[in-house]
Order: sequence, then C-alpha cells, then structure tokens
Amino acid sequence: MDKPLLEITGLASGYGDVQVLWSIDLDVKDGEIACIVGSNGAGKTTLLRTISGLVQQSRGQILFDGQDITGVGPNKVLQSGIAHVPEGRRLFKGLTVRDNLLLGAYLRHDRVEIQQDLDYIFDLFPILKERATQDATTLSGGEQQMCAIGRGIMSRPKLLMIDELSLGLAPALVDRLADALVEINRRGQTILLVEQDVMAAFELASRAFVIETGRIATSGTTAALSDDPKIQQAYLGI
Amino acid sequence: MDIGQILVNGLVLGALYACLAVGFSLVWGVLNVINMLHGSFIVLGGYLTFFAWHSFGIHPLVSLPFVALLLFGIGYLVQYLFVNKVVTAPVLTTLTLTFGLDMILYNIMTVFFSATPRRVTLDLGTLSFFGITMPVDRLFGMALALALTGLLYYVMRKSRIGRAIVAVRMDRAAATLMGIRVNHIYAITFGVGALMAGAAGAIFAMVFPITTNLTGMYIGKAFVVCVIGGLGSVPGALVGGLALGLIESISGHFFGPQHSLTVGFLVMLFILLVKPTGLVGKRGYE
Repeated sequence: MDKPLLEITGLASGYGDVQVLWSIDLDVKDGEIACIVGSNGAGKTTLLRTISGLVQQSRGQILFDGQDITGVGPNKVLQSGIAHVPEGRRLFKGLTVRDNLLLGAYLRHDRVEIQQDLDYIFDLFPILKERATQDATTLSGGEQQMCAIGRGIMSRPKLLMIDELSLGLAPALVDRLADALVEINRRGQTILLVEQDVMAAFELASRAFVIETGRIATSGTTAALSDDPKIQQAYLGI
Repeated sequence: MDIGQILVNGLVLGALYACLAVGFSLVWGVLNVINMLHGSFIVLGGYLTFFAWHSFGIHPLVSLPFVALLLFGIGYLVQYLFVNKVVTAPVLTTLTLTFGLDMILYNIMTVFFSATPRRVTLDLGTLSFFGITMPVDRLFGMALALALTGLLYYVMRKSRIGRAIVAVRMDRAAATLMGIRVNHIYAITFGVGALMAGAAGAIFAMVFPITTNLTGMYIGKAFVVCVIGGLGSVPGALVGGLALGLIESISGHFFGPQHSLTVGFLVMLFILLVKPTGLVGKRGYE
C-alpha cells in the first residue's frame, strides 16, 4: 500500500496550441477509490485522456505499476492495465451488449476466462444479461453506463478510470451504479473516478484531487476535504 | 423465353454481383474510401486463376484460396502503406489516390497479360430442370459466390476481427480505448475487400471471359449494387446484388440486353431518390 499504483508528476498536455493541463501531480494507491473533481472545463477529461494515451503529453511523467508509460500510446497503456470508461459511454452502435463487452477484452486471448468475466459482469448487472443480444445503444442511459463499465472491466485492468459516472443519470441510478462500484472495489479493483457531482464522488472515494484550470488546487482524503470551508463553499454548496 | 428462365438467370447473375460488390461495400462503409482499385483487383484475381489453370493445370477451386489470400496481402499493404496516410482526408483525396494506383495496376496487367479476353472452361455441361437450362459452371459459380458472401457475413458478425471492424467504423476513439490498432484494422478491412474482389474475379473467370477492359464495368456494378442494397453491410450487398441481377435479366428480356445496364442505373437513381440508405440499409450506417 505504500507505493502508489499510478503516479503522475508534472504532467502537462493539451490540444494543439491550447494547453489544458499545466502541472498535474497525482497518485492512486492500490485498492482504493480515488476521485478527480472540478468544474466544467477544468481539465478532468483531458487528464484521463492523457493518461490513456489519447492525448499526447507535452511534459511530465506517468508511472504505472512500476513502469514508465509516458507516451506509449493507448494500446500499450491498456496492456499495462489501465482501462478508460469514456465520458458519454461511447458504446458501439450496431453491436450487441455482449459484443460491446467482448470488445473490452479485445487484447485478451484467454477464451475461458473471458467467458468467466462476462458471467461476472452479468452477475453484477443482471439487466445486461437480459439485454445481451440487444443493440447496446438502444439501452437506457443507466444501462449504457453499466455496459460501459462492464466493457472496461472486461480488459481485467489493474486500474479502472471512469469519466463522469453520473452524467445525465437520475440520482437513483447513480446510487445503483455507486453500489456496484463499491462491490467491484471490495473485490480488489482500484478505481479512479472523474466526477462533476462532487457530493456523489466524495461518498464513493476515499481520496480526492480537486482540479482547477489545469492544476491540482488541493487534494486529500474526502473526509478532510468535506470539512474544508473553501471546498464546501465552492463545490458542495453548503 | 419463359419467366422461370429469366428469374434463374437473374439470380445467378445476382449472386455473382453480390460477391463482386461486397468487398467494395465493406471498404466504402468502414473506411469511407471509394476504392477505385476494386475492378482491377477483380480482374487480377481472374487472371491469376486463369493462368494457374491454363499454364499449370490447377483447378480454379484449388487456386481460389491462394489467389484470395494473395489479394488480401496486396490489399493490406496498399492500405497500410498508402491509403492510411490520407484516410482521414476528404473522400475525394482517397478516391484520387486509389484511382492513381488503379491506373498503375491496370496498365501493368495490360502490359503483362494483354487485353485479350480469357476464361477458364471447365466444360461441366448444362443442367435442365422445369424447362430451365443452365450451364453447370454458372450454377457452380453462383454457389461459390453465395458461400463466400455467407462466410464473410459470419466472420463479420461472430469473430473478434469482425467486431473490431464494426467498432472502428462506429467510433474510432472508443475503439482505440479497447486497444484496437485502428490502422491495422483499416488495412485488414481493405485486405478483406481485395480478398473478396480476388475471389469474385476467380469465379467470374469460370463463367465469363475476363479482360482488363472490364475493370470500369465491375466498379460500375459494385457501385450500383451498394446504392440499391445499402452501403457497408453484407446483407446490403447481397440484396443489392440479387436485385441488380434480376433487374438486368428482366429488363434485358423485355427491352433487349443493350438496355439492361441503363435500366440498372435508372433503378439506382430511383432508389437514391426514395430510399437513399438502400433497400436494407439503416440510417446512420451509410
């Protein structure tokens, strides 16, 4: 538990001439749920996209599980054990729920265990089993998020990164998904959550990083941050 | 000639058209590339089959898998080395690129093979049933064309690569997050398109005389089949192919064979007006 699973130092990135991240220092410990919160446009999604290699970093270093994965590209990042559940789910239209889940295991070749993991997902989200042969994009928003999370888990990641778990979902559904994440975490899955809904994120995560205009403004345990008057005022509306 | 004969002629022709067009359709649908090389790939497949048979006495059924695999390799390399560099550019760029490559391949083939029409003659005789007469080699070609088209459908629906192709088509960025190497899948898709073209060429060489002058006609047929049936799906190519075969056969009977091509294009224009997605195409897949 001492050595972090993911360790990011001085990370900067952006799109073309537009720099979004300036200097990000962040770490995720093995077995925990950590979260990144912040307002719209602060750079949360860009941070995840930079970690997973969709966006090229311009400075800084990303260490994962003892390896330097800076700039190795999305394929290698996934192979090293980081799965990214993208904002807006991004399920594949024209493919069934089952096929979408199987695409999560695209890099794996252990047929038997892939089937076991599929059963595990269906166990976790029984509704997905019912809808297994349905086009994934015909599911409701909450079911799509379940499918997207399942697809992420299908790669057997050491770290599961989820971008905007609650976006566009009813509170009851968010609770249901949060319960599932707690269950997944209890089974040993490390999770890094990006969330605009700070209240929901703090309930789930043990530690949080607050990101403001591309920099980590503050970080700490969610318990401590919840008591911080500045955080209360800016994000929790207390 | 009675109606049964016309319909059977149309279906036989249609099955060949489906096989001819399905690779073109796949490449267009997935890569958004109008592959001008497709006609030359068909002729190349036909020539290779012919020369394997003529010079070495290899039966087309034996050479077909090898011809198809060779075409896959050529297609993979063409996409990987050339088309991938400009695949995200507007469609006119890739069209121009494949058009240029087609000129090269077309002229190489004409120089090496000359433009003399050639065909494999298997002499399988003819079959008569219910007053319908059909050369056995055509029936054989039809069965082969349908089998290959069916095989492609199965691979696209059930295999890991098939899933990856659809994923890349629908959402490149999300596909990248699955660990899919997009350029590799693009090259495979283009390779499969060339493979189906090569196989179609091998089948055509058993049924019709084949020559380099036909490349333009083959592309024209593939184009019409895609528009009538719906772009980028195997069922679309199958329905479009069978429809075009029947249209040509029926209109050839009533208006004379010289007009069947025109009627085919007129039907295409009509479909474009009333159902731009094609007969079995779905919105969002075009």
